[in-house]
Amino acid sequence: MVLLQVDIASILLNGLQQGAIYALLGIGLTIILGTMEFLNLAHGALYLVGAYVGLLVFRETTLSSGLLHGAGITTIGFDGGFLAAIVIVPIVGFAVGLLMERFVAEPFYDRPETDQLLVTFGLALIVEEIVKQVIGGNTFQPVSPSTIFGVNVSQPVSLPVVGLFPSWRLFIIGIALLVIGLTYIAIERTDFGLVVQAGTHDSEMVRLLGIKITRSYSLVFALGAALAAFAGLIGVSIQTISPQIGTERALVPAFLTIVVGGAGSVRGAIAGGLVLGVIISAMTQTYSQWAQIVLYLFVAAMLIVKPEGLFGSVEVGE
Amino acid sequence: MTDDLDRAEEADPVTDGGSTVTETERTSAGGSGLAGLRERDDFVVIATAAALVVFPFLLVDVLGVVGDLIGMSIGGYAGLPSLVLIYGIIVIGFNLLLGYTGLLSFGHAAFFGSAAYSAALFSQIVPSPILMVIVGSLVATLLAWPIGFVSIRRSGVYFAVLTLTFGQALYFYALGPGAWLTNGDNGFSDVAAHGLFLGALPLDAPLLPVFDSYTVMYAFTAVMMLIAVWVGNRIINSPYGLIFEALGENEQRVEFVGLNVFRYKLMAFVISAVFAGVGGAMFLIHEQYIHPTTGLYWIQSGDFVIMTVLGGTGSLIGPVFGAFVFEYVANVISGVNPPVIGPIGSLWRFVLGAVFVFIVWVFPRGIYGALSDLGAWLLGRSGGGDDGSDPAATDGGESE
Repeated sequence: MVLLQVDIASILLNGLQQGAIYALLGIGLTIILGTMEFLNLAHGALYLVGAYVGLLVFRETTLSSGLLHGAGITTIGFDGGFLAAIVIVPIVGFAVGLLMERFVAEPFYDRPETDQLLVTFGLALIVEEIVKQVIGGNTFQPVSPSTIFGVNVSQPVSLPVVGLFPSWRLFIIGIALLVIGLTYIAIERTDFGLVVQAGTHDSEMVRLLGIKITRSYSLVFALGAALAAFAGLIGVSIQTISPQIGTERALVPAFLTIVVGGAGSVRGAIAGGLVLGVIISAMTQTYSQWAQIVLYLFVAAMLIVKPEGLFGSVEVGE
Repeated sequence: MTDDLDRAEEADPVTDGGSTVTETERTSAGGSGLAGLRERDDFVVIATAAALVVFPFLLVDVLGVVGDLIGMSIGGYAGLPSLVLIYGIIVIGFNLLLGYTGLLSFGHAAFFGSAAYSAALFSQIVPSPILMVIVGSLVATLLAWPIGFVSIRRSGVYFAVLTLTFGQALYFYALGPGAWLTNGDNGFSDVAAHGLFLGALPLDAPLLPVFDSYTVMYAFTAVMMLIAVWVGNRIINSPYGLIFEALGENEQRVEFVGLNVFRYKLMAFVISAVFAGVGGAMFLIHEQYIHPTTGLYWIQSGDFVIMTVLGGTGSLIGPVFGAFVFEYVANVISGVNPPVIGPIGSLWRFVLGAVFVFIVWVFPRGIYGALSDLGAWLLGRSGGGDDGSDPAATDGGESE
């Protein structure tokens, strides 16, 4: 009985961590889909960009080597690699998102959804190939700092029910939930969020009200991209990375997430991500071979039984 | 004359694209005399047969000579023509679904892969190529029925995601729990099929003494291709196919007419899966290997989509051009070493991705659509609005 409790607790904790990544990806995809009715198959590419930029920042700011050390900086008080990456990666993602919106998405807003799928699918291929060419197809081990704010995060900590759990993962869960919470507040409580929300319901009406929705479009797209890049940064600190992760670990799960949660709904993306995260973590700890299969079949069942998802507000592409 | 052409042009965009344009293009006449011919099966089949006869010669021998002259190996290798045709068969079927019925499936690798796997398993009992193809396509059909039955209930993105999830579930099954059947990560290699006619004609035997690209295997795939073109043409030019097209344009209208939309969409799905199954079994016979990544991974489905869209969804033959470009880039261009650029190598997918994006952007009707537009334009109807219809879509995004 105690054993079961431990299992359930660690399943939930691992599920929370995986689910947070899915949720970050899902929010980005869903606000873009909801607001602009634009299907972004290149969303995984943004994750990929985030992961590699994160890796780069990690490497270059690690104080015993890298650029900062070369510049003569040997100590700035704490292990700054991850903190620097937390700032830099979303900014890069934001910028890439702005560019993508302007040059890839905008010309396709009025085209059929299959054209949008196809062009972003092609873009995803291109990004993946560029990464392969520039960095190579090799796999990198996950990188995580040993201390953050002076707190040692390399050792597992002992939690009441779960037992030993890597403290770095706890930190990851915390910061991911924080970002998700802030995004949620930004969309639910600010004027910008109001426009976004209105846009997901009826963008034509928002335009008629005299709100300059194109600027909101760019911002929404860039915000989604920044979240995806941030998810990539988290991913790089706990999982191996290679050029394939963009589609394998980001794009497909992001789609599954919004299918479960309901297209166009931020709340749905969060809920969907967490549900999928718990499913995959439960299956991995029990019948790992069946983990992915159960995940996909769950989503298929969801689509058949409740196609609008848990919190679906709009029917996109039906 | 003009009357006739105008009519043809009006019908062109999505509706009547078909085999029609193929013939006008190939014979470069495009007059009213051909209008009657183009819908006739025998003409389509004969024209395709003629193209199939010269295809390996052009691809391997002529390009090989040209390649020698310019110092780059741009000619195909002996097995490439067959490979192109195998994918050609698949995309003809895929296009019935995507181009005509308007359903974008991201799960056709499931049918391709399951057919290849079942053909590989069957070859351990009876290594007859024809039986392997039959078994493979049967398995694909049986699989497509339930998957289609469930997926068809949703449309658009949801349909794409549903087919993707089923395909991926199958992929992970083949990798993990189903490894007892599929050999897991290793798949099957060195699958040897007998020759045709009870082993009397080995598949790699040359048909012609000089040209080594004409093998029994090529003849076999060419015959299958002819059958595929014939069947595809029959479907497109039948009332049945007309309903597929109508579904692609406006589903609701079809429903109002009183037709059972669900049944027609399911049939389109199953038919396209049969083509994919035939292609999958042929792929196994040709390449003699199959493993989960080539057979079942969703990128393979994506490749079918790329080929179809690259070639052009509005016509019967169009997607075959896409299959050709795809396989040519993958197998030949990847080995080319141009003077300034240097070796292309693994950049080929980048090249392909870029071409693909360009095509989707500028020519939504694919290479084939672009070619037929060009043909029409060359015929002296630049004012016909034909060339206006395509680029117009590119600046459609200026919504503000």
